[in-house]
Amino acid sequence: MTTKIIELGPHQLALEEPMYFRVQLEGDRVADLDVMPGQVHRGMEHLVMRRNLYQNITLLERLCSLCSNSHPSTFCAAVEEVAGIAIPERAEYLRAVADEIKRIASHLFCCAVQANAIGEIPLFRRVMEVREIMQRAKEAIYGNRMDLAANVIGGVRYDLAPEGIAYLYQAMEDMKKPLDELYLQFANNPVLMARMAWVGVLPREAAVECAVVGPVARACGIDYDVRKKSPYGAYDRLEFEVATQTAGDVRARNLVRLTEARQSVSLIEQCLAQLPSGPLCADNLPEIPAGEAIAKSEAPRGELMYYLRTDGSDFPVRLKWRVPSYMNWDALKVMLKGEPVANIPLIVNSIDPCIACTDR
Amino acid sequence: MTDLTTNVAAALVCAAGEQTEVAWRRDRKGVLTGWCRLPSGEALLPAARAVAELKGRLAMVTPYLPERAKERGEREIAYHFDLDGATLTLTVVLPLDWARVPSLTPIFRNCDWQERELMELYDVQVVGHPDPRRLFLDHSLPHAPFERLVPYSTFTNAATSKALWDKVLGEREDA
Repeated sequence: MTTKIIELGPHQLALEEPMYFRVQLEGDRVADLDVMPGQVHRGMEHLVMRRNLYQNITLLERLCSLCSNSHPSTFCAAVEEVAGIAIPERAEYLRAVADEIKRIASHLFCCAVQANAIGEIPLFRRVMEVREIMQRAKEAIYGNRMDLAANVIGGVRYDLAPEGIAYLYQAMEDMKKPLDELYLQFANNPVLMARMAWVGVLPREAAVECAVVGPVARACGIDYDVRKKSPYGAYDRLEFEVATQTAGDVRARNLVRLTEARQSVSLIEQCLAQLPSGPLCADNLPEIPAGEAIAKSEAPRGELMYYLRTDGSDFPVRLKWRVPSYMNWDALKVMLKGEPVANIPLIVNSIDPCIACTDR
Repeated sequence: MTDLTTNVAAALVCAAGEQTEVAWRRDRKGVLTGWCRLPSGEALLPAARAVAELKGRLAMVTPYLPERAKERGEREIAYHFDLDGATLTLTVVLPLDWARVPSLTPIFRNCDWQERELMELYDVQVVGHPDPRRLFLDHSLPHAPFERLVPYSTFTNAATSKALWDKVLGEREDA
């Protein structure tokens, strides 16, 4: 059998961001893999120490586009923990609404890209069409289709008027049937089954060893969701089940995402129904004292973690974050081993990789 | 949760010595974070093994140079572990020069990239790492860029300043 090394870039892998792979082949099967990050390394962890805590909210929102609400909200939670700021209850619910809208849009984007990777163009169009309802909701509520600018230290900087609430209720209603249909498609359509079931399998033990997070972990039967394990914001008062699958293949990862998108619709409805009245942001913010804190959240791709250390000035001494994708790249070595070359783009996209987040 | 705090405290004392203390904080939602400063760099490896025994997951590694510690000629590295939702942070204090830590990659496979990044951005040697290559930055950049000021254009390899201007002028003259 011939052994060969090929290098694959974003173009061959249907990635919208630059990441390179050195793949060792035996015949037409993958034997080993080396991931080569760093093409969009912007030194952002260095930049945040040259901006004050308020300016950093804006910078962190630009880390990447799909999880662009999770970064500022988790960062704000870290600052609030250091300073002992309790955010108003209404703000907790409004943060959850923004997070869940972003989660639906992110999960659907991932499913769409995978449909594209296997040449199912009508399905790609359909998923993006359903996602468009959320894009329009973002534009209507926040004035932007990607970065929502919803968070400030101590709360949020947007409100939902009764018309906004009614609009969101309708948007959620419009999502339900299409999301159920998409779930049935990804679960039962014979063409998708043939391309996605038993492909790119990550066994549970390997998932634990690689310490994968988010839908990639939950698709292997690991029942871990930050919203349940380390509740934050309004999530301790919202009802949902952690979506898990056991097969650990591409199909299972998509089913977890589509189940979560459907749950997010319910979570937004619960937030709208329970939305308490009151202020949007804590008045009188205290000075930020010296201290350190950890803040975690369930970003669309999984556990997002922030460590903040302050010295009493407005500038962080250290701000470090670890994104969910950072944990998931290594698992590709297991998922791709023995797979034909033709499956590489699909399997790589099935972990929903975020390159700008990984490189920072 | 009380079990967790007791078990962690007992395991760390056993692994890293009597002086090892964990301070636990519970936030408004009841989420626990534990903070522990290890008595010495040598205590890191046994402490990490103890956390692995307790089914802990390595979540993040944070190297940094706190201003005051820098004046004292020190640097710190914080290792954050997840224990079923609670986060335990073990901090080691190291000298500013010739800082060395043992690699945790043999215990936690996912420490691989974190340690490669740590070696690349900071002047810290990770002893026993199975694959100590650079991870993110081009080899033309100087070692340990987070420890000194590197112009942004150099850091991102975006030669937009003088080099580009010279090129534009050069092409104009050629034409």
